Amino acid sequence: MSDADSSPARDLLDRAADRVLDLTVLERLAIAAASTVLALLIGLVVVAAAGYDPAQFLRFVFVGSFGDAGATARTLKFTTILTLTGVAVAIAFRAGVFNIGVQGQFVVGGFTTVVTILWLAPVFPTGTVGGVLLMVFGTLAAVVAAGAYGALPGILKAYADANEIITTIMLNFVAVGVVGYLVEGAFRGEGNRAPNTERLPEYVSLPRIVYDNPDFSILGFAVALLVVALVAVVMARTTVGYDMVTSGYQQAAATFSGVDAERTIVTTMTFSGMVAGVAGAVFAIMIQGYYSDPAGVGTYGFDAIAVSLLAANNPLGVVPASLLFGGLDSAASYISINSDVPVQLIDGIVGLVVLFVAAPELFRMAAKRTGLGGADR
Amino acid sequence: MSGATLGTDDRSRLLLGTVLVVVALAVVSTTIFDLPVAAILTVGFVERALQAASPIALAAIGGLYAEKSGVFNIGLEGFMIFGAVAAATFTFLLGGDAPSQTTLWLGILGATLVCGLLSVAFAVLLVRYQANQIVAGLAVWFIGLGFGPFTAVLLWGNRNSPGLASMNSVTVPGLSEIPVLGSVLFDTSPLVWLAGVLAVAAWVVLFRTKYGYWVQAAGENPEALDTAGIDVTRIRYAAVIFSGLMAGLGGAVLMAHAGSFTGTGDTMVNGRGWIAIVAYLFGNYNPIGAALAALLFGGLDMLQIQFQTAGIELPNRLVNLFPYVAVVVVLTVWGSTRMPSSVGEHYESEE
Repeated sequence: MSDADSSPARDLLDRAADRVLDLTVLERLAIAAASTVLALLIGLVVVAAAGYDPAQFLRFVFVGSFGDAGATARTLKFTTILTLTGVAVAIAFRAGVFNIGVQGQFVVGGFTTVVTILWLAPVFPTGTVGGVLLMVFGTLAAVVAAGAYGALPGILKAYADANEIITTIMLNFVAVGVVGYLVEGAFRGEGNRAPNTERLPEYVSLPRIVYDNPDFSILGFAVALLVVALVAVVMARTTVGYDMVTSGYQQAAATFSGVDAERTIVTTMTFSGMVAGVAGAVFAIMIQGYYSDPAGVGTYGFDAIAVSLLAANNPLGVVPASLLFGGLDSAASYISINSDVPVQLIDGIVGLVVLFVAAPELFRMAAKRTGLGGADR
Repeated sequence: MSGATLGTDDRSRLLLGTVLVVVALAVVSTTIFDLPVAAILTVGFVERALQAASPIALAAIGGLYAEKSGVFNIGLEGFMIFGAVAAATFTFLLGGDAPSQTTLWLGILGATLVCGLLSVAFAVLLVRYQANQIVAGLAVWFIGLGFGPFTAVLLWGNRNSPGLASMNSVTVPGLSEIPVLGSVLFDTSPLVWLAGVLAVAAWVVLFRTKYGYWVQAAGENPEALDTAGIDVTRIRYAAVIFSGLMAGLGGAVLMAHAGSFTGTGDTMVNGRGWIAIVAYLFGNYNPIGAALAALLFGGLDMLQIQFQTAGIELPNRLVNLFPYVAVVVVLTVWGSTRMPSSVGEHYESEE
C-alpha cells in the first residue's frame, strides 16, 4: 500500500513506469510489432465488412506509403513532423508527465513562426542569407512561445496539483480557438478569401534536394534527426535529463535523492513544449508556407502520442515509429484519391495500435497460450 | 508530496475566496460595462443550459462509478463519440431521412447498448489484461475520432449526417403554466428529465444501497471487500461497463438534442467527455454534485446565444472557449480532490 502522503495519481504513474521499464527491448519490439499487425488486421476486417476489397486496401497501403519516390517523399514529410512531435511527447512521458497538449503547443509554435517571419521580413535582406536568418528567428520564436504554452500546465500541475492530462487537452482547444480567431481576423492576409495569413516570402523556404516535392525537403528531416539526437543526449547525459528520467521512473526515489519534484515537472513540460514548437516551425516553413485555421492543420500532436508509446517513449525509437505512422498517413492521402474507402479508417487503426500497446499483458498471455516466443514470465 | 499540498481547511477557504472574487468581478463588470444581466439570465438560457448539461452529466455519472470502483475510465470522450454516431446511425437506418420520435428513442437505446458492448471489451482489457488505464482511455478517444467519422462517411458520404430528428419537448399540461419553473422543468426535452432522474438514482444507489458500498469498497479497500466474500473483479467489470454505457447514452442524448451527427474536427462531442471528468471531480464524486457541475459547464457553453441576443459583441470563436478555460480554472483552484485510494491498482484475489 502507498504511504499516506503520496497521491494515488503519482503512485499510478510510478507503477505504470515500473511496468514499462520491466520490459526488455526485445519484448517491446515484439509488442510494437504485434500491436501494429493486430490493428491492421482489424482494419482489414472493417474494410471487408464495409464491402470493400481488403487485399486491394492492403496493396494501397504499401503503394501509397513507399511505392515510388513521390510516395516516399510524402511519407518522409509526415515522418519529419511526427518525429518532432513524437519526441516532444516522449520527453514528457519519460518523465512521468502526461503532456497530451503537444497539438496545442505545435499550433502555437507554428503560428508564432509565421507571424514572426512576416513581421521581421521587411527589416532583413532578401535572398538566401535573409531567408536563413528569418527561418532561424522564426523557429526560435516558436520555441519560446510553445515552451511557455507547455510550461503553463506544468506550473499548474506542480504548484496547484491540476491534472495535466485534462489541462493540456483543454489548452489544445483553447490554442486552436484563439489562433483560429486570430487567423480569421487580425492576422488574415489582405484580400484572402480563406482564413489564412499572408504567405511567407519566396526565399523563406527549404531547398528541394533529393526529392522534388514542394512540401518536403530532406533538410527538414535532417533538422528532425538533429533534434532527436539532441534530446537523446540531454535525457541520457545531463543532470536535467537524469532528474527527469528518475522522476518518471520512481518519484519517491527521485525526491529522496534531492530532485526538486515541482521544478522537474515544469522543466519537463517546458522542454516538451519547446520541441513541439520546433515541430510547428518546420510544419509552417516546410509544408504550409503560411498559417491557416488550426482546426485543419492535421493531428500531428495527437498521433505523436501513438508514435511515442510505440517507441516505448525512447527518443531514438521515435524515428522508426514515426516512419511507420508517416507511412500510414501517406497511404491515407493516396487512398483518399485512389479508392472509395473512407480514410478516417487510418485514424481508427492508429487508435487501435495505441490501445494494444497499452495492454502488453494481452500479448504475453496470448504468447503463453500458443507457446510462442517463450515469454514465460 | 511537499508543501504544495493544501489542507482541507485551506482548500475550502481558497474555494470560498475564489467564489467571492468571481461574484465581486461579476458585480463590478456589470456596473462598469453596463452588462444587461436580465437579458443574459433568461428562462430560455436556463432551458438551453440544462439541455447542454445533460450529456455531460450522464457521462460524468458513469465515469464517477468507474473511478469509485478503482478504475479510471479516461475513455469517456471516445464512448460519447461512439454513442453519438451510433444513435445517428440507428435513427437513420430505422427511420431514413424523416425519422419519428419513436425511432429517435430506439436510436438512443441502440447506441447505449452498443456502447455497453464496446465497454465490455474495454473492461476486459483494463481489468483482465491490466492495460495502462490512461493510455487505453486515450486510445478509445482516438478510435472514436477515427471510426465515428468513418461510419458517417460510409453511410452519408460525408463526415456529417444529414438533419435527422431532434427530441421534441414534452409539455406537462397545467404545470407548464407555472412562471419560470414551468417552462424550465415542465416544457422541456424528456432527456433533461432522464439525466436528472439518473443523477438522483445514481446517488441513492451509490450511498444508500449495498451495491453502492461494494463499488466504493472496490476502490477504497479491495482487500476488505474480498475478505467479505465479494468478487472485486466483478464489481469493477460492472462499474466500467456502466460507465461506457452512460457515456454512450450521453453521446446519444447530445445527438438527439442537436438532431444530427457532426464528425468534422473533434466531432460534435468536442471535449465534453473530458469536461465530464472534471465535472465529477468538481462534484467531489457525488452524482448530484457532478450533475450540478455539468450544469455550470452547460451554462458556459450556451452563453454565446445569450451574448448575441443581449447585443454584446464578442467573437463566437472566443466565447466557445469559456467551458475549456473554466475547466482549467476549476482544476487549478480546486486542485486534486481525494481520489479513491486504490484507483489504478490492479487487484488480484489471493485464491
